[in-house]
Amino acid sequence: MSALARDLAPLVLAGVLGTAGAGKLFGRGTARQAPRTALARLLRDGGRAALALRVLGAVELLLAAALLAGPVTPLPGGAVAGGVAAGAAAALLGAGFLGYLLYARAAAPDGTSCGCTARHDTPVTWRAFVRAAAVLVGGVAAALAQQPWWTAAGRRPAAALCLVLAAAAALTALSADPDRRWRMPLRRLRLRITGHPLAATGARTEAPLAATGARAAVPLAASVELLERSRAWQSVSRVVRSALLDHWDDGGWRILQFAGVYGGGGPAARPVLVLFAVDAGASLETVREPAVRVSVIDADSGAPVLATA
Amino acid sequence: MSAYRTGDPLDRRRFLTAAALHGATVVGATALGAVDADAAFAAPMRPLDPAVAESAFAEGRITAINDDVLAVAGSYGDHSRVRVTGATSVWKARATTAADIETGDGLYARGVPLPDGTLAADAVWVNIVNLHATIRGIEKTRLHLAHGRHEIVGNLMAETTSAAYGTASPTADLSGLTIGQSAQVLGAWRPSDGSVDLVRVAVAPGAGRRR
Repeated sequence: MSALARDLAPLVLAGVLGTAGAGKLFGRGTARQAPRTALARLLRDGGRAALALRVLGAVELLLAAALLAGPVTPLPGGAVAGGVAAGAAAALLGAGFLGYLLYARAAAPDGTSCGCTARHDTPVTWRAFVRAAAVLVGGVAAALAQQPWWTAAGRRPAAALCLVLAAAAALTALSADPDRRWRMPLRRLRLRITGHPLAATGARTEAPLAATGARAAVPLAASVELLERSRAWQSVSRVVRSALLDHWDDGGWRILQFAGVYGGGGPAARPVLVLFAVDAGASLETVREPAVRVSVIDADSGAPVLATA
Repeated sequence: MSAYRTGDPLDRRRFLTAAALHGATVVGATALGAVDADAAFAAPMRPLDPAVAESAFAEGRITAINDDVLAVAGSYGDHSRVRVTGATSVWKARATTAADIETGDGLYARGVPLPDGTLAADAVWVNIVNLHATIRGIEKTRLHLAHGRHEIVGNLMAETTSAAYGTASPTADLSGLTIGQSAQVLGAWRPSDGSVDLVRVAVAPGAGRRR
């Protein structure tokens, strides 16, 4: 099995380098991403970093092609010169990636994109290190391959297929943004199968309507929104100083309590409570002209104060 | 005024309800300035009454609480002292009292500067956060949110958490939230575990129709 894995390494490695290289060379995001990568910090210029990423993409594509093409000249020992060169180059590339990642980690511990796949703005994580190490190991294995990958695959097609699929799955799991690729689709699927976990909140707001014919109480936020757009609010807004102090429902009314100052800023100023009563079932959705009751009472005595401010 | 003076909060509420319902009824709609949690992020409110001193603001983390004075270390290295009175509104995911304020909480306060250097707070918003996030997961009691590169757990609170779909009024119906939606999230941060108690989740219009 290990011999098969070694002989198939060029194929898998070509797949990895081919995708990453094509992304860097042809991806529209490369120029946009480059200034945010650690490479830009290393080269001290975003434009140079973009160029370097594109060149690296081209090199990766060339390596992928060389790995796919396999041996050019069979050597007496059985090793294949073309494959050895491409494998060694890929191993060097993997070692270079590892070094670059270590630099990126040291230069910008949190946040800098590695630019590894030039697609998403992904920070340097353990996944990037594992990917680079995989390229290094794959390169060494490809250099040590004893026969072309198609010969090895032809001899044991089923095992080869399983091996390639497993490698592809592992590499996908290591891809830069697992959330975007599979965690969110899986969660969406679960919701589709098990139903929306918050569906009951929708039933709660609609049930009392049907059962009693009366309007169900709306969320407090809807009542406050209704109040703040009402003429009642306008008439006493200069008295109100606090945000919402307290609120409660009583007999279909929702009472909203604020604190305020009445009588200007001089010695005659008195602390007051400003009370609003709104329909507990009304919101801007259901009422165009809300009827709001307003009371201003003295905070110390509880005596009503005329709201003529 | 015996009911007003009594210490029993239910009696007091009963009295205030009667007072509110005897008040003048005003009908009509107009757009005006707000004092709800959103206002904490709005431009400073200019009082209409020239006799009232212009509002001052303080923000930061509460480093100490001495009776009714909160020592606040600002985000930019400044320090302030905020005085909370019986007339100060306190918001911590919901309207509450000063007893709920703890050392270590974040604070945003609006009030009037006093000669002794303290800020007499009219309104205090504790641990308020207002951020743009993407919904990454939905469970019965919480939402998973992504804010930039940060994963945030948003706790759903019965009777409090509301959803706003587009420009529609806030509703308790959260069944229209879907994974992948962008959302403006208003809530209270919990310093103990870094999660956010969700007060309002506003998503794009029509987004709630999809499932």
